[in-house]
Amino acid sequence: MKGKTGIVDTLEERQPYITRKQEKGDIIPLACDNTSLAGAISQRACVYSGARVVLNPVTDAVHLVHGPIGCAGYTWDIRGAKSSGVETNRSSFSTDMKEIDVVFGGEKKLSNAIDELVGIYHPPLVFVYSTCIVGIIGDDLESVCKTASKKHNIPVIPVKSEGFKGNKSDGYKAACDALKQLIVRPEVKKPKEGPEVKKPKINILGDFNVAGDVWLVKPLFEQMGIEVIVSMTGDSTAESISRAAEADLNLVQCSGSMTYLAKWMQQEYGIPYLTVSFFGTEDISIALRKTAEYFDSEEMKKIAEEILETEKNRIMPEISRVRESVKGKKAAIYMGGPAKALTLIKGFAELGMEVVIIGTQTGKKEDYEQISYSVRDGTVIVDDANPLELADLLVKQKADLMVAGVKERFIAYKLGVAFCDFNHDRVMEFEGFDGFVNFAKEVDASINSPVWKAVRQRNLKPETSESERAGVKERASGEPCAKKYKDVAVDPEFLQPNQDVAVESEV
Amino acid sequence: MTKRNYATVNPCVMCQPMGSALAFKGIENTMVLYHGSQGCSTYMRLHLAHHFREPVDIASSSLSEKGAVYGGRENLKKGLRNVINRYSPKVIGVATTCLAETIGDDVPAIIREFKEEEGIGDDPEKDIIIIPVSTPSYGDSHVSGYIKALDAVVRKFAEKPESQESPKKPEGSEKPEIPEDIEIMDYMENMEIMEYTEILEKEKAEENVGEAKSPGMKEAPDAEEAGNGKLNLIPVESLSPADVRELKEILAETAGDHIFLPDISETFDAPLRDELPKIASGGTPLAEITDMPNSRASLGLGVVSTNLAVGYLEASHGVPGHNVPIPIGLSNTDRFFTELVRILGCPVPEKYQKERGRLLDAMVDVHKYLYGVKAAVYGDPDTVFSLTRFMLELGMNPVLVATGSKSRDFGLRIREAFAEIRPDLETMVLDGIDFDTFNDAVKQSKPEILIGNSNGRYIAKACDIPLVRVGLPIHDRVGAQRILTVGYRGAMELLDRITNAILEATDTFTAPVQPDPVADADRVPKVL
Ligand code: SF4
Ligand code: SF4
Repeated sequence: MKGKTGIVDTLEERQPYITRKQEKGDIIPLACDNTSLAGAISQRACVYSGARVVLNPVTDAVHLVHGPIGCAGYTWDIRGAKSSGVETNRSSFSTDMKEIDVVFGGEKKLSNAIDELVGIYHPPLVFVYSTCIVGIIGDDLESVCKTASKKHNIPVIPVKSEGFKGNKSDGYKAACDALKQLIVRPEVKKPKEGPEVKKPKINILGDFNVAGDVWLVKPLFEQMGIEVIVSMTGDSTAESISRAAEADLNLVQCSGSMTYLAKWMQQEYGIPYLTVSFFGTEDISIALRKTAEYFDSEEMKKIAEEILETEKNRIMPEISRVRESVKGKKAAIYMGGPAKALTLIKGFAELGMEVVIIGTQTGKKEDYEQISYSVRDGTVIVDDANPLELADLLVKQKADLMVAGVKERFIAYKLGVAFCDFNHDRVMEFEGFDGFVNFAKEVDASINSPVWKAVRQRNLKPETSESERAGVKERASGEPCAKKYKDVAVDPEFLQPNQDVAVESEV
Repeated sequence: MTKRNYATVNPCVMCQPMGSALAFKGIENTMVLYHGSQGCSTYMRLHLAHHFREPVDIASSSLSEKGAVYGGRENLKKGLRNVINRYSPKVIGVATTCLAETIGDDVPAIIREFKEEEGIGDDPEKDIIIIPVSTPSYGDSHVSGYIKALDAVVRKFAEKPESQESPKKPEGSEKPEIPEDIEIMDYMENMEIMEYTEILEKEKAEENVGEAKSPGMKEAPDAEEAGNGKLNLIPVESLSPADVRELKEILAETAGDHIFLPDISETFDAPLRDELPKIASGGTPLAEITDMPNSRASLGLGVVSTNLAVGYLEASHGVPGHNVPIPIGLSNTDRFFTELVRILGCPVPEKYQKERGRLLDAMVDVHKYLYGVKAAVYGDPDTVFSLTRFMLELGMNPVLVATGSKSRDFGLRIREAFAEIRPDLETMVLDGIDFDTFNDAVKQSKPEILIGNSNGRYIAKACDIPLVRVGLPIHDRVGAQRILTVGYRGAMELLDRITNAILEATDTFTAPVQPDPVADADRVPKVL
């Protein structure tokens, strides 16, 4: 049963999901966008998780999970999305369904739970997520929510996120469907006098304000004279989302989750959208320029250029310093969605690094095509990878650094590969100019820590380590840095983290 | 805040399948597969990886809409096949999630079918052992999932190989754990089984143990004839890898031969060595689990929850079972050693006498800092029980003692502990709580320190009191796998951590505190 290709050793049925970019322009025959294979240990979660990650940053909503306790418990405050106001979203609300609810239906408990929570927290909005068993026992969320909504006079929105009905992408869609219901049609039609009369307004779609990302991005547009109505959903509120339709333009960052909503807003409210990214100086430049171009204002274009110039000049020294210390290193990217993966390719290029593995949990055919245009020949592209494949790839592709989420972190660590969290677990902003500096610093710290050198020698062998030390000392004595630190009790090899030391033979 | 009857806010438990993974992962060469949809498995992996800081591979049968409607038979089989293919495990623990339970898949039957199709027998020497556990989360918590999984494992390995495959036997021997027709109400049946096992256990304890036999068993293993002279050690709640290491060390120096189930000391705290094995190395060896029915005795750790595996070994194989509290703190560790000495007739090694002496010394050193300090402790029932006893011994005042699990005996045991050690103190005991309820209780009882898992951090922050992290999950600090609480050494470490946390929080706190309950009420940190 074990199939082998040139790339990794994995299950036969998984082979079509892994490919290598061969020649420029080749359309890669990569399978994707399917349900995960049973027993293959996908890194994906479920529909509910997709919906939850998208909606969770709505700060003042009660996020009520209708289902057994686990689904709610494991998603309690797991996304580091920051709020500038209330933090109702950081609590975990659940109906904690029991035996009896499963047998006799959970509608009653749900409607009571809504009443109870509304009575205690007075939220302006309640999201009710359905989980797997709700899908099976067939509670009518729609009608419970409708009744509750009338009763309390606030939106109570059902999120159809039964875990088994698709994958994470379907959860994104369920989330967008929920958001749609919150957006209110603006009373006054857009003024006909032309765009200059009013301050131009935009929404940012697909920025979740992890670690405060949005707060580094919004000011850039404000400087350009643009009002950002809402960022969906980072640091958003029921009120700010409801005004989204007043915007002149939508900027879509996380395309995987939000393009669906953007398209709908275009149809429904005639608001066009641009796909952008706020990560890395190149993509930020494109985002600002495209926006200024869209509004076709010379003034705006001028300001955009000014911002770009000052900001780039400001951060360049730091970026160049990091670049010097990491250039030529090989990166592996495994992301939930394709947008982040794509922008990371550019980010790494700015740091002089090369991408050798790239994969996503939820990419679609078009996404992988775009990815394959953006990477070099020889890069492995993978969809819905599992731990064994990732481990194998990291070794075979000789990656120095992996960028992914928590579950992947320890795989990398065990292999002695540096790791950088780009998901919701990070505490530093990565977007905007300062965010990119943060990212560069983190890459530097991840790759250049001396622990990786220590980790290469997995077993203590007193004989060899004695002679290694002698060898290193000999070499070090001829080098300037050793002289500088001659009197300090530091092992000279740690002063030059990039230098390959002989201990490698121990691995 | 306000009394709630329907909504749960910030849960204090995890779900049953999670508990089963904690148990299965302590067995040599074992993979876990959740029968249900993909999300559950990914979430639980995330939760565990975050806590132990290790890769945690758990498979899923990845039920899709089709599987959910027409049953998950094919998905489960495919999942098993793929896991075997990729991981070559010796054991696969199959735990059901809520979805699989709700659609009513007959997991044991599917597994039988699968084994037949693949030609897998029941010989632990050469065959892959597949162990199903029914763990619908809407029935119970991770605590019961852990207990049930261990019970299922012990039962499975205690089965005689002769009874393999022949369709007449397997369900018979598994029956008490997983009823034939899995229906929504099967959890209830399981509950009855728990009681049943308990009754058996009590009966055996009252009668003269050792001679016990049950139908279907060979001859009662006589300690002298068939016995292996080993001691089984089976905790009722997941301990940290450091705890397991410590207990194994104690046993090695007293009991000599012992079988610790489940041994997560390496599987969840793997050294960085030569290669990355597909399944973390370590875990209780299968041969030893098979040998458990021949041991001279079983020592169950935990007295609040019923240790099904210990009960089963006694009832069906005549292995005398003794249940003692998880050895956290002075008296609990004393009790543990006493029991060892009683069972084994060995002396307490000098090393531990010294450690005990050091603990006493440490307790004397800090008694003034701790006397009367109000504490709130929460977590799994037995851990909390043992922690509470230790706090009482130290002179602390555990004003609030809580567990997220529903537990019949929790309140009773805690009150017994108070009556024994500090009858003068009053406390609030809660079970089946969520953190919102706990928060209200904290505001009412005004502790000066919290002791429990990292989910209490919100409350600790809001009340501006320190939190000493013990238990699972600990997601916001490193070193969860190395937190030692058991034995005299564990007690010392805990003691130091608690005292230092208090000193840290109240830098000026140097004078001995008046043991005056009235004054106590005023000596409260600012509370929100
Ligand atoms: S469905 Fe059940 S098993 Fe799955 S995460 Fe939720 S509570 Fe746990
Ligand atoms: S039960 Fe369903 S919704 Fe809940 S975590 Fe599991 S897959 Fe997701």
